[in-house]
Amino acid sequence: MIRFVLADLRLHALGAVVIVLLIASATALGMAVRIEERALRLGSARAADRFDLVVGAAGSETQLVLSSVFLQPAPLTLLNGDVLRRLSEDPRVEFAAPVGFGDSFLGYPIVGTTAEFVESLGLAERAAEPPLASLGEAIVGAGVRLDPGYEIRPMHGLPGQEAEEHDEIVYRVTGRLAPTSTPWDRAILVPIEGVWKAHEHGDEAHDEAGHDDDDDHEDHGTEEAAARLGPPWPDDLPGVPAIIVKPRTIANAYQLRGEYRTETTLAVFPGEVLTRLYSTLGDARQILTAIAIGTQALAAAAVLLVAMAHLAQRRRQIGALRAFGAPRVAVFGVVWAELLLVVGLGVACGVLLGYAGAKILAIGLSRQSGIHLPVTLEASDLGFAAVLLAVAAAIAALPAIYAYRQSPAAALRS
Amino acid sequence: MLSLSLEGVVVRFPDLAEPALDLPGLEVAAGSSVAVTGPSGAGKSTFINVVTGLERPSAGRVLWSGEDIARLSEAARDRWRARNVGLVMQDFHLFPGLSAIENVLLPARFRHIRLPAGLRDRAAALLVEVGIDAGARGIETFSRGEMQRVAIARALLLQPGVIVADEPTASLDGQSGAAVCALLTRLARAAGATLIVVTHDPALYGRLDRRIALAGGRRADALHAEAS
Repeated sequence: MIRFVLADLRLHALGAVVIVLLIASATALGMAVRIEERALRLGSARAADRFDLVVGAAGSETQLVLSSVFLQPAPLTLLNGDVLRRLSEDPRVEFAAPVGFGDSFLGYPIVGTTAEFVESLGLAERAAEPPLASLGEAIVGAGVRLDPGYEIRPMHGLPGQEAEEHDEIVYRVTGRLAPTSTPWDRAILVPIEGVWKAHEHGDEAHDEAGHDDDDDHEDHGTEEAAARLGPPWPDDLPGVPAIIVKPRTIANAYQLRGEYRTETTLAVFPGEVLTRLYSTLGDARQILTAIAIGTQALAAAAVLLVAMAHLAQRRRQIGALRAFGAPRVAVFGVVWAELLLVVGLGVACGVLLGYAGAKILAIGLSRQSGIHLPVTLEASDLGFAAVLLAVAAAIAALPAIYAYRQSPAAALRS
Repeated sequence: MLSLSLEGVVVRFPDLAEPALDLPGLEVAAGSSVAVTGPSGAGKSTFINVVTGLERPSAGRVLWSGEDIARLSEAARDRWRARNVGLVMQDFHLFPGLSAIENVLLPARFRHIRLPAGLRDRAAALLVEVGIDAGARGIETFSRGEMQRVAIARALLLQPGVIVADEPTASLDGQSGAAVCALLTRLARAAGATLIVVTHDPALYGRLDRRIALAGGRRADALHAEAS
């Protein structure tokens, strides 16, 4: 019987291949949506893991998380410098690290922060001890292709600064972070004081253009302050876009979050914000899933149509089989087995294709965002494929039943 | 070897006023050979369908050596046909993509999960007997005469008690037709099988013991009385 099926498939090899590809692409689409969505969820959750509590100026929670955790460039309202000082002196806080952005170099974001935070992210190689001990130092993320000793001249986002070349801070790469599988792998970390200095200058130059004396004075003052970097902070701290807080205990985390949810400040658990984001993402997934199911239904309809046409073409052949004494069950089996073979092959190819597609997409996204997307094939995916196969088997039974019920005498007369 | 006895067989189709077949009585002795002739629409195909159990008559009994196949279920008739009937058809119904020997074995493959011992040898021997060298090439490369000879080998495979041939020479040229005629009658006789052949071919029905002429679904030959 299987010989008969294979002989017929060989005879219609091209058509069978087209059907297999059709089913494979429809399956792959559904598969890729599942795998990619899960990878995105897991990947971003893991990326947010290291960030317990983020404090920023009142505004959008999502934007605060996207900017601080995922380093997505967006202008954030600055938080009063006092908040940073208060937080870092709070006994419930292990460390409070400012994150200052706005500059970039070769497309890598330059993030101003403190040595504590750099240590907390983990260093893979270091030249200086401790990191970010002086203003001209930079620690690069694992994914930044700059070697130690490389000189970084930040590109300022603010206008007018390019002209003042003598003001520009030059950083030298002195160390590299261990891989974190987060967007921070693409960041260049510098002392927050450097970012403040650059931006103060920008503001000065902008506000008081031509007053060179003031500039010089300001420069001098900052350098004096820069003799010692990081906390404890002086009284007149400039503003920061966001503060990453590492509370000592979970209870502290909740207390702090409550305390810093005020009129002017915002405190969020990135994990919580992400969960809310996922529910939005979940809707998107549902839409994508619906599209994938629609595609699968279309493919199923096309396959059914082809199967019926093929059956009509084989009507006499199947009638003859019956005339030679083949039982009706065997006729059902031949038609069903042939369809199942094609559909099964298509679904199997689709699973592999979907997995490969998701993997390629994830690699592309990782390169862009730095977020490592864990693409995995799980039991539930195979379950999904099994459900597809079961539905296909049920649909394939329709032409098989049609063949089963067909009168051989009528078929041979036609 | 099977004998056939039709008793009061009537076949009606829903959209026809006249019955397609109306045979009050007909006997075919076991091991004899009969030609069934008649113009198009005479009921020849219906006759074949009824005696092979492909179709159930609206009324009457179809007795093969005393067993009424008209009373059998569809599945039982399939089984009976597989066991007792060797079928040869006008357009062969060989299956492309399969070799000659696989075509000969095909009906057996649908009946057995594993082929009974010796069946493959028998198929090879039958192919030699009908003059086909059993190669692996697909059946679609054969000439029409060769195809019909493969079909005859297939009909003989399971040593049927009756061989039913429907216009076996109609789609062949004279020479191949003559070869098929000779082969069919010789092998049926050698196997001791009853042979029923629907044919227009005088060369073929001349070789057979008897001729039954049909017209409008009824006996049209002078031998009508002999049926008793």
